Amino acid sequence: MPDLPEHLKKPFVNMLLAAADDKLFLGHRNSEWTGLGPILEEDIAFSSLAQDDMAHASALYELAGSIDGRSADQLAFGRTAEQYRCAAIVEVPDEFDWATAIARRFFCNHFDLLRLTRFSQSAYKPLSDLARRLVAEQQVHVTHVDDWVIRLGTGTPESHKRMQQAMDAIGPLAPELFEPLDDLKPLVDAGLYPGSDFTMYDEWTATVEHVLGQAHLSAQMEVGSPEDRGGRRGVHTQYLAPMLDEMCEVYRLEPKAAW
Amino acid sequence: MIDRQSILDVLRTIPDPEMPISIVDLGLIESVGVSSGADGNVVEVVALPTFVGCPALDMIRRDIESRVGEMPGVDSVRVQWVNDPPWSVDRISEAGRESLREHGVTVPDAGNRLEVHGGPATVPLTVGATAIPCPFCGSTETRLDSAFGPTRCRMIYYCDACRNAFEHLKRV
Repeated sequence: MPDLPEHLKKPFVNMLLAAADDKLFLGHRNSEWTGLGPILEEDIAFSSLAQDDMAHASALYELAGSIDGRSADQLAFGRTAEQYRCAAIVEVPDEFDWATAIARRFFCNHFDLLRLTRFSQSAYKPLSDLARRLVAEQQVHVTHVDDWVIRLGTGTPESHKRMQQAMDAIGPLAPELFEPLDDLKPLVDAGLYPGSDFTMYDEWTATVEHVLGQAHLSAQMEVGSPEDRGGRRGVHTQYLAPMLDEMCEVYRLEPKAAW
Repeated sequence: MIDRQSILDVLRTIPDPEMPISIVDLGLIESVGVSSGADGNVVEVVALPTFVGCPALDMIRRDIESRVGEMPGVDSVRVQWVNDPPWSVDRISEAGRESLREHGVTVPDAGNRLEVHGGPATVPLTVGATAIPCPFCGSTETRLDSAFGPTRCRMIYYCDACRNAFEHLKRV
C-alpha cells in the first residue's frame, strides 16, 4: 500500500467516507423497494442497483479502513449519526413514490459518476484502480435512470405530472451533494482528488439539465447558503438516525461477530 | 518446483459459481507465481474481480485455495484480488464465449466503446437500442427485456423469432 502523507490521511479518509456514506444510504433506500417495484423488471433492477451501491460503499470503506485501521463493518455500522458524511438527498424517505425514487437516483447517479471519475484520476493508485472499475458500473446506473426519467417525463400526462412533482420535491436537495468537505483543497493540490468542484458542478448541471430537457421536465437546483444544513459536516436530517437504527440493529447485538 | 502450466490446468477445471465457464476462460486469472522459501512452495494467484464486491469472489477464492492446495508439492496458496488491470468482458476467451453461448448467455463484442464523461460507456440500455444475435436461433430480432438479471453482471434479452429469453453480459 503506498504511503499517504500523514497530514492528508484524515481528509482523504473523510472524502472516501462521504462517497461511501452516500452510496450506503442510497443503496439502503433502494433496497427498501425489493418486492415492491412497480413492475417485475424494475423490482429486479432496484435490487441489483442496491447491491451495486452497497458493494461500491463496501469497497470504499475497505479502502478507507486500510488507511485508518478500521474495518469496513465498523465504518459502515459502527459510527454515530453525526460521524456520517452523507448528503441529505440520500437520507430522506421516498414514501414509496416511484417517481421520487427515480428523481433521487437521477441526481445522485450523475453526481457519483463525476465523483468516481475524479477518483479514477487520483494519484493514490489503490483508489484510481478501484474507481476505474466503479465508473464502468456507474455508467449502467446513469443510463438506466436517464432512460426512466425520459420515459416518465414524456410518457402520459399523469407520468409527466408525477415525475415533475418528484423533481420539485427532490431537486432542491440535490446541490447539497456539492457541499464542500473539510480540508479538501490539500487533497486537490496533492493530486489525490484532482479537478475542481466548480468544474464538476458545471458539468453536472449541464448533463442533468440536458436530460431534463429531453424529458420535458425542470428542476430547481439552486445552491443554498452554506449554513443551511451540512451533511458533509455531520449535520443531518431527522431521517438518518432512525434509518441507522434499523440498519445497525443486528450489527449492534454483537459488533465483533464474524460474518 | 511446481510447473505454472499444471497450476493453470487445475484452475481451468474450476467453474465460475454463477456461470457455465471456467475462471480461466472468464479471464479472471491475471498471473500465477510459484515461490519456494521458509514456508515451502507457495503459489500466488492474482485474480481480477468481474464486478466490484461480487458475492462469488469469496467462493472462487476458496475453490482456488482448496484445488491448487491439493496439488502435490504445494504447501500454501495465496489468492490476491486486484483491480489493475480492470477485468472486462473482452478478457473472456473464445472457448468461454462458446460455452456461454451454448447455455444461452451472450457476450458483447470486443471494442466498440464510446467515451462518455471521460469513462467508458456501456451498451445502451434503452429497449430496442442494440440487436444482439440470439444464442439459440441466431436471429437479430431480439430486444432488451430487462437491463438487470439474475446477477449484477447480466441483462435479459428476448428473441421474437424463437421466443426464447436469453442473457447478455453487461459490458464493463
